[in-house]
Amino acid sequence: VSDLDPVAAVEDATGRAPGVDTSFGALTIDVAASSWRPAAQALRDDPRSRAEFFDWLSAYDDRDAGLAIVVRVWSMIHRQATILRCQVSRETPAVDSLTPVWAGAGWHERETFEMFGVDFLGHPNLVPLLLPEGFEGHPLRKEFVLASRVAKDWPGQKQPGESDRDLAGDDEARRRRRVRPPGLPDPGSWGPS
Amino acid sequence: VSGSDIPERSRGVIALLADNCTSCMLCARECPDWCIYIDSHKETTPPAGLGARPRVVNVLDRFAIDYALCMYCGICVEVCPYDALFWSPEYSYPAPEIQELTQEREALGDWLGSAPAADQV
Repeated sequence: VSDLDPVAAVEDATGRAPGVDTSFGALTIDVAASSWRPAAQALRDDPRSRAEFFDWLSAYDDRDAGLAIVVRVWSMIHRQATILRCQVSRETPAVDSLTPVWAGAGWHERETFEMFGVDFLGHPNLVPLLLPEGFEGHPLRKEFVLASRVAKDWPGQKQPGESDRDLAGDDEARRRRRVRPPGLPDPGSWGPS
Repeated sequence: VSGSDIPERSRGVIALLADNCTSCMLCARECPDWCIYIDSHKETTPPAGLGARPRVVNVLDRFAIDYALCMYCGICVEVCPYDALFWSPEYSYPAPEIQELTQEREALGDWLGSAPAADQV
């Protein structure tokens, strides 16, 4: 068994030193989106990594930095987990599919496709996995507002000493001065008009 | 607690000590699930004595937690500045209709009895 060094394996495969993040006790390797599949291939095949076991693939919304695509794999030989990450733009998020490397990535990429709108190039069947047909939007993106936040009034908009009765008596100006719930866009810019 | 020997600091339900509640709305505003409903009104109390001024106080009319929405994060218990909310290990409060999972102040008050006392420091 070779010495464990997944960072060097990725560097040799992609031709440049990747970013390395060891926060939370995990090894996270950052590569450019263009090196996504070669880096994954090296993690699986390079004797310094041998991460043959695919754990999961997902994404997270990194706001101004775009979307981060994350895959976690496991080396049974080295008994070591490695996380590989890349950034894609919010406007045209696309990255190579990892299904040629780990076939099991297929469903995870379908879920990431529907939840974040990421295109996985070369995926054999990139259709929604969980969302119903005709569903609009990508629910795990930050700009997606939950339907339950549209359908219901925020219980925190009342001031101390007020009840629902006081809310009903609001005129337009007063309604606009109310405390707003954190994390929701300004009224008028979203929801039913 | 409903016929079991679960640990007394289990997080089964959130109980309300209404006497401590000032209707400040902090818990309702911090709740990520929007499941705490508070109604209150203002009353003016007469001056306490000669030279004192009348005081305006908030009087709690309704305090309810919708346990169909609550995810038991405990943020409301943490943020309450007046120690009005407490964890109780009581876990058995099913309901045949989802609306009945909204527990009003009477039920929330009854659960205080099973809330463990604070650790002695």
